[in-house]
Amino acid sequence: MARTFLYNDHVRLGAKMVDFAGWEMPVQYTSIIEEHNNVRNNAGLFDVSHMGEIFVTGSDALNFLQILVPQDISKVIDKKAKYCQFTTEKGGIVDDLFIYKLEDNNYLLIVNASRLEDDYNWLIKNKNSFDVEIKNKSNELSMVALQGPKASDILEEVGLNKEHQPHTMFITKTKLIGEDVYISRTGYTGEDGFEIIIRNEKVSDLWNTILEKGKKYNILPIGLGARDTLRLEAAMSLYGHELDENTSPVEATLTWSIDKDKTEDYIGKDIILNQIKNGAEKKLIAFKMTDRAIARNGYKIYLNNEEIGYVTSGCVAPSIGQNIGLGYIKTNKNLKINDTIQIMIRNKLYNAIITSKNFIEKHNRGN
Amino acid sequence: MTVKDNMLCSKSHEYVYEENGNYNIGLTDYAIEQLGDIVFVELPEVGTKYTKGEIFGTIESVKAASEIYMPIGGTVVEINEQLIEKPELLNEEPFEDMWLIKVSSEAYLEDSKDLLDYTTYKEEVE
Repeated sequence: MARTFLYNDHVRLGAKMVDFAGWEMPVQYTSIIEEHNNVRNNAGLFDVSHMGEIFVTGSDALNFLQILVPQDISKVIDKKAKYCQFTTEKGGIVDDLFIYKLEDNNYLLIVNASRLEDDYNWLIKNKNSFDVEIKNKSNELSMVALQGPKASDILEEVGLNKEHQPHTMFITKTKLIGEDVYISRTGYTGEDGFEIIIRNEKVSDLWNTILEKGKKYNILPIGLGARDTLRLEAAMSLYGHELDENTSPVEATLTWSIDKDKTEDYIGKDIILNQIKNGAEKKLIAFKMTDRAIARNGYKIYLNNEEIGYVTSGCVAPSIGQNIGLGYIKTNKNLKINDTIQIMIRNKLYNAIITSKNFIEKHNRGN
Repeated sequence: MTVKDNMLCSKSHEYVYEENGNYNIGLTDYAIEQLGDIVFVELPEVGTKYTKGEIFGTIESVKAASEIYMPIGGTVVEINEQLIEKPELLNEEPFEDMWLIKVSSEAYLEDSKDLLDYTTYKEEVE
């Protein structure tokens, strides 16, 4: 199994380590619920070094990216982040990712650890005659995420004044602890926060400095367990659960992220535009359990004793004290928010209610 | 914390010990620690009869659901009702006090033969 450059720090902090996408990662340090609540109330620091960093440069960088995603990259201004999906000919999702425009002809792609190899191969396969260079720097770079309402205060404490901090969905190249870093104001928790990219050799220094300077703001290191409950409360999709090659961005209710007026062709465009216009066969819904039970990935969804879908993620939501989930249902049932469905759990049906995807009030906008 | 002298453990991390003629069945401290925050417990109805090795309940942590197996055969005479409302007690209280069910059992002598005493169990799992 691969280890990040923070492995020894995790062990020293008493983390319970698990396998995630071939990486030995901390699932929790103390308690998932305590860590979860601390990110909502104070701040948390995550090791996300397993994620992939791919640089796409060259005179055709824009044109190349344009054929890969349903988003219009020509509209992305310098230092801006855009949430995107690599789509297949059939409209399925190879991966979801952030594309950052660093400057003209220079883009940074942050992709999922579990998909890095597939993503890289996808880029190479579609490169054709484009004048681009595709550099996977994931083996040289580490990344940490500083998240929570105190994240901005802590980053200032570490050395980046608030006036120099990037705004929400922007990235900046700067120095931190004397090192060149990229800092973006993005995250996967629904809270304000930053993701910081630094070379492997310096990530342990950065990690420990942030934890030390963040002490007075009650920062805690946070494992993948709380990362999952935080993203699920924020109704953010996870590749391999809500997203895969047999699911389109429209089905995944990511239509908001698609630029419908994009003139350039991209892979899967016909199918995706057709689904936007005429609907798709399945769609992602959010639900809350009304009976006492927890839905889990893979459980079946029922309506009047007929199987109509499946759960992709489910857990207890520590911030609201309810059992929540995401799942796909057939659209031909015309189900709406507040309608009741059932989840098959250990051969028994339990009631749940379809809800909006706003399980919590999000704070990751307008900073 | 003191462990009951007569406590025996299964390799699937259930414990059993005799008290006033019945048998208290629960999950070992090792199992609870591995699970992390417990958020849900599902227990059987009083009167249900099980043989050794059958699933009698479910315990869920934040991350996952796990099944719980009968370390011995027996009939449920009581369930620990407070765990239904407050499953987090499993994380907080000494584990031998947080038994899940009490059973009556005719099969204890036969069914307990392959169970381990607590010290041996701890050596095996750690």
